[in-house]
Amino acid sequence: MQGLAAKPIKITFNTLFHEADAKAMEQIIDLFNKTHTDIQVELIQGGWTQYYAQLRLSVMSGNPPQIGICHTNKLVEMADYLTPLDASPVGNLLEMAGIDPTKYVEAAWKAGELGGHHYLIPLDTHGWGLWYNKDIFKAAGLDPENPPRTLPEFFLAAEAIKKAGYYAFHPAEDAAPRKLRRAWYVFYWQMGGRLFDEGYTHATFNNEKGLLALKMLVAIFNDFGWNKPGSNGYDQFAAGKLGMLVAGNWFYGTAVKSGVNWGYAPMPNFFGIPYTWGNSHQIVIPLQPKGTPKEVYLAAMEVIKFISEHSHIWTMYGGHITAYKPEAENPELLASDYWKRSGKWLNAMAQKGLVHYPINHPKGSELEHAIQAQIELAVNGVISPEEALERAAAECDRILQGG
Amino acid sequence: MTASSRAAEGEDGEAGSTRLPFFAKAMRERISRFFYRHPGTEGLLFALPFIAIWAVFLAWPVVYGIYISLFQWNPLQGSKFVGLANYISLFHEPRFWNAVANTFKFAGMTIPLILGIGLGFALMLWAWGKRRRGMVLVQAALFFPYLLTVSIVAIVWKWLLNRDFGLFQYAINRIFPHAPVFLTEPAWALPAIALATAWWLSGYRMLVFQAGLDEIPVELFEAAEIDGARPHHKLFHLILPLLKPSLLFALVLTTISAFRTFGQVLIMTEGGPGRASEVLALYLYRVAFDYFDIGKAAAAGVVLLLMILVMTLLGVRLLGLKSELQ
Repeated sequence: MQGLAAKPIKITFNTLFHEADAKAMEQIIDLFNKTHTDIQVELIQGGWTQYYAQLRLSVMSGNPPQIGICHTNKLVEMADYLTPLDASPVGNLLEMAGIDPTKYVEAAWKAGELGGHHYLIPLDTHGWGLWYNKDIFKAAGLDPENPPRTLPEFFLAAEAIKKAGYYAFHPAEDAAPRKLRRAWYVFYWQMGGRLFDEGYTHATFNNEKGLLALKMLVAIFNDFGWNKPGSNGYDQFAAGKLGMLVAGNWFYGTAVKSGVNWGYAPMPNFFGIPYTWGNSHQIVIPLQPKGTPKEVYLAAMEVIKFISEHSHIWTMYGGHITAYKPEAENPELLASDYWKRSGKWLNAMAQKGLVHYPINHPKGSELEHAIQAQIELAVNGVISPEEALERAAAECDRILQGG
Repeated sequence: MTASSRAAEGEDGEAGSTRLPFFAKAMRERISRFFYRHPGTEGLLFALPFIAIWAVFLAWPVVYGIYISLFQWNPLQGSKFVGLANYISLFHEPRFWNAVANTFKFAGMTIPLILGIGLGFALMLWAWGKRRRGMVLVQAALFFPYLLTVSIVAIVWKWLLNRDFGLFQYAINRIFPHAPVFLTEPAWALPAIALATAWWLSGYRMLVFQAGLDEIPVELFEAAEIDGARPHHKLFHLILPLLKPSLLFALVLTTISAFRTFGQVLIMTEGGPGRASEVLALYLYRVAFDYFDIGKAAAAGVVLLLMILVMTLLGVRLLGLKSELQ
């Protein structure tokens, strides 16, 4: 009987992380497993493309992991499949686990509330910034320690790089359709544009600002000659052929490995408010089958709390900025290369509220697909920016009106 | 058991050798009589293990798919019967019709391409002769792509067609400086995927056709030659008519595979540019796993099933294979 009592509680933690961030989470969980004998965590990681479908199906089949991940903007779509942490079947888990909301970045914490309940524990903020090649800057006669911050500066820099014989700028990582959409979001948001009305009854982006934003994006790949449609910015940058790249913090590992002499800067202020695209990973307890013992919930909360309290590892090796405020001041993190070379800039954007989250709606994925299909056609020069926005708005309206 | 019955058993060679008790012998005789009176039942019993697996893993999902296509499916909150609403919603959606059109375009390109290349290879090797040196090597090289998984094929071709670093794209641009960038131009995305698919699948069709060619009696060719038949006469009046069963098999296989194409499209273009290469299987996947509208996705699946069924039957009818099937 003693043997049975000593058996640790097994917690399954299923994430959507891969590559660098998966390794960072592995480090944290390894540390947890080494320092705890009463709870052992099995970490399952992989691709994110089918993650939410898998999470839903695991809840439906009565075999969910005890811990999962949810992007902030997915809460509306996923809430039915998650345990409300303040009203779980065994009570208020936040209180029982001693989670202090004031220790988390306020905006990230509030993003976890829906319908009067709290579902998410913030893990990080992640987002896009400007990666630039210092050697190309030098070759183009630019100051490698002074990347462009405004639109006029940006034009001068891009033209100088083009003249020096390099690809000047890529605004959207590998130019996948969703990345092109995000790039358009950034330009549009910087003008103060809103994608939908307050009640999500119709699209509000088919206007002058939306059009200017799209014309800018199209021109980068066409009229300005700064790049070509369909080009992969990651590859171009890593090969030392691209001057400036807009990419997420997850590009850090590739940038380091590439051997390129790179620098990092916040998203330039192109159109007024220097917003960047970003999101937040949050930790959740998926809806558990009826009769799940209280100990399992508490064990899951203990793991979640541990992750928060060790999230400087997450930032140092995964590149995402921790949402747990005490950890953002961790001396080891502040002394790390990652922080000094890029993390501090992304953190500064997050602290200033310049990381703009994507669509938050039950039909968010469908709406985003409707937009990106047309944005991609415009960038490839198949349809005009005007036609692209008209088509995208019409399809979004049809989706929102249930047609 | 009486002494006489034991003696009778002993006289029966088979029963005697296995020493079956009387009731078992009687049972065996009854079973034999049953199978004699009900021909075909024995075969059914042999097939039963496969039928059970087929029913659980193939037939039941199809039936259940048809069932949930009539629901707004949400097991957590309770599914709601909506009748044909999912189908009506589907038929009102321009994106669905775009996917259907793309599926037909893709099948229209892929099926002739795969069958044509497969048949071409088979005829080339057949004409070359079996005993030639290097024959096995050539055959293996042509068949090799079929051994790869769809994801590897798609990734390799995506690299080959990469705008900046793609070998294939580079070679084409050297020859034709204004050649299209295949994966970023709507008119060329589907043909590029069709080409990759043909490269992948033609090798297996080649084997099917080779087996068919080997079945044609040599005497028929000798007779044709005596009659003064030229190569094209032999091809159209002798080889192709006698290859009909192999053609049917390859056609059915290729039709099914072309209509449910998914992996190559997802990896190579994600259905783009725009929706230029979004085929029905990819649309279904998005509706099911991105938008989690399982009822509607099931309805799309039923439509896809019917499309494949109709197109396959049409192919069979076109080939005029009624007698062969019977």
